[in-house]
Amino acid sequence: MANVLDLRRRIRSVKSTRQITKAMKMVSAAKLRRAQDRAMTARPYAKMITSVLASLTRRIEIFDPETGNLRHPLFATRPEKKILLIVVSGEKGFAGAFNTNILKTSFQFIAANGDKEIDVEAIGRKAKDQMRRRYPAAVYTETIGENPADESALTIRKRERKAAVEVVGDHQGLLDKLTADKVFAIAESVIARYVHEEIDACYLVYNEFKSVIQQRIVVERLLPLMELGKQQVTEAVEPTTEEKERAGEAAISAGIALEPADTHEADEEAAKFGTSEVDYIYEQPAEELFNGLLPQYVSSMLYHALAESVAAEHAARMTAMDAATNNASDMIDALTLHMNRVRQAAITKEIIEIVSGAAAL
Amino acid sequence: MAEGTNKLRVRLVTPERILFEEMADAVELPSKSGYLEVLYGHAPLVAELGAGDVTVHGGGETATRYNVSWGFAEVLPERVTILANDALLPTAIDVDRAKKQLERGHELWHAAGDNAEAYDEANRVISEAEAKLASAGSTASH
Repeated sequence: MANVLDLRRRIRSVKSTRQITKAMKMVSAAKLRRAQDRAMTARPYAKMITSVLASLTRRIEIFDPETGNLRHPLFATRPEKKILLIVVSGEKGFAGAFNTNILKTSFQFIAANGDKEIDVEAIGRKAKDQMRRRYPAAVYTETIGENPADESALTIRKRERKAAVEVVGDHQGLLDKLTADKVFAIAESVIARYVHEEIDACYLVYNEFKSVIQQRIVVERLLPLMELGKQQVTEAVEPTTEEKERAGEAAISAGIALEPADTHEADEEAAKFGTSEVDYIYEQPAEELFNGLLPQYVSSMLYHALAESVAAEHAARMTAMDAATNNASDMIDALTLHMNRVRQAAITKEIIEIVSGAAAL
Repeated sequence: MAEGTNKLRVRLVTPERILFEEMADAVELPSKSGYLEVLYGHAPLVAELGAGDVTVHGGGETATRYNVSWGFAEVLPERVTILANDALLPTAIDVDRAKKQLERGHELWHAAGDNAEAYDEANRVISEAEAKLASAGSTASH
């Protein structure tokens, strides 16, 4: 049986673990608050782009009179043979089931689309590690061709597909310091691939985050666009009630608001952008404006998704660390009780020995 | 908002946040087809912005200038809203980086061959870098 000294040491060790998890929880709570702010301040831009696009579609003939489809290539739907899957995970562990759930949903998506060619783009270190381990990287061969314009050397990149699922790229560290220009660069490359018909559709797996108790993992279609201002969620995994309760408790103890902040007024204000009931002078032809805005719309959707995912990661870590802190407290209580019992038993034993020794005299 | 003042409400919105919101007398916009200046009571207008400086006059004591690389503006008689991908104060521009960007733009331009898309991209990079340099240069000379 463990003696009192051993137990005291264990308690001390668990106490210092509790200190660490508590600190991590508070750090995550602070980061979550910042991430939530960021996701919110990004809303006006996204809203404004959406509303001005919507109003442009009403004013100009961007619909093809023959097919009734929108003329822009980002609206062109093709049979989905080549899919780009963007997986947004976290950068670090210690976030409960956050990364596992994202990856599980991604693998399910890949399994469900086994007959198609899938390119995977991983955002976040955890997704990168897992995807790289499972799937081969895309192979490109570079050949030197001749530039027809001035006969200088020109490198031509060619893709050789070897497996049905290949990793085409990863973006590690992007989420640590999320800036719009980096995200916009990714979105632009995705759009270019779509326009050049290298891919027929682009899906995004990420953790949607409205508030601590309103979040879910979604598979969202980024391209082709169907309807402006609407998310094209194809799959969603809601957390269980129990998970929601735990997240809620952790949030309350860290002082995070459960309800999403009220953005109604700002949203309405933003929704008015470019939609006034007046005849605008279009500095450029409306079609040109529309074409210039569409990529920005897609980019801002991607940015928004990433900002939410970052918030969700911090929320998950906060919840996990809150649970760890509680577990440590329980363990300390149990160990303290056990230690007191052991000490009491030792004292009782000694008294018995003394009493029986005295009786024998 | 006080009625009857001949002031514009100018807002500069980037993907990350609302960068700037102020009352001003006039604002200059780098539209794709040339600079335009907007005063109170301007006819409603929608314009795509190219690379250049957005200048806000009379907001505070001095004119405020932001360098934007791509943007979109809505002008209404009493308010102007600018959507920009990136807006930098001229003092925040990294001149060395802009110079490198200009070089890269020229390289792209030479490598473009007869690919029209690559040319457009190269021209865009060049004009962005030139606008940044011009914007940073004019503060240095002040």
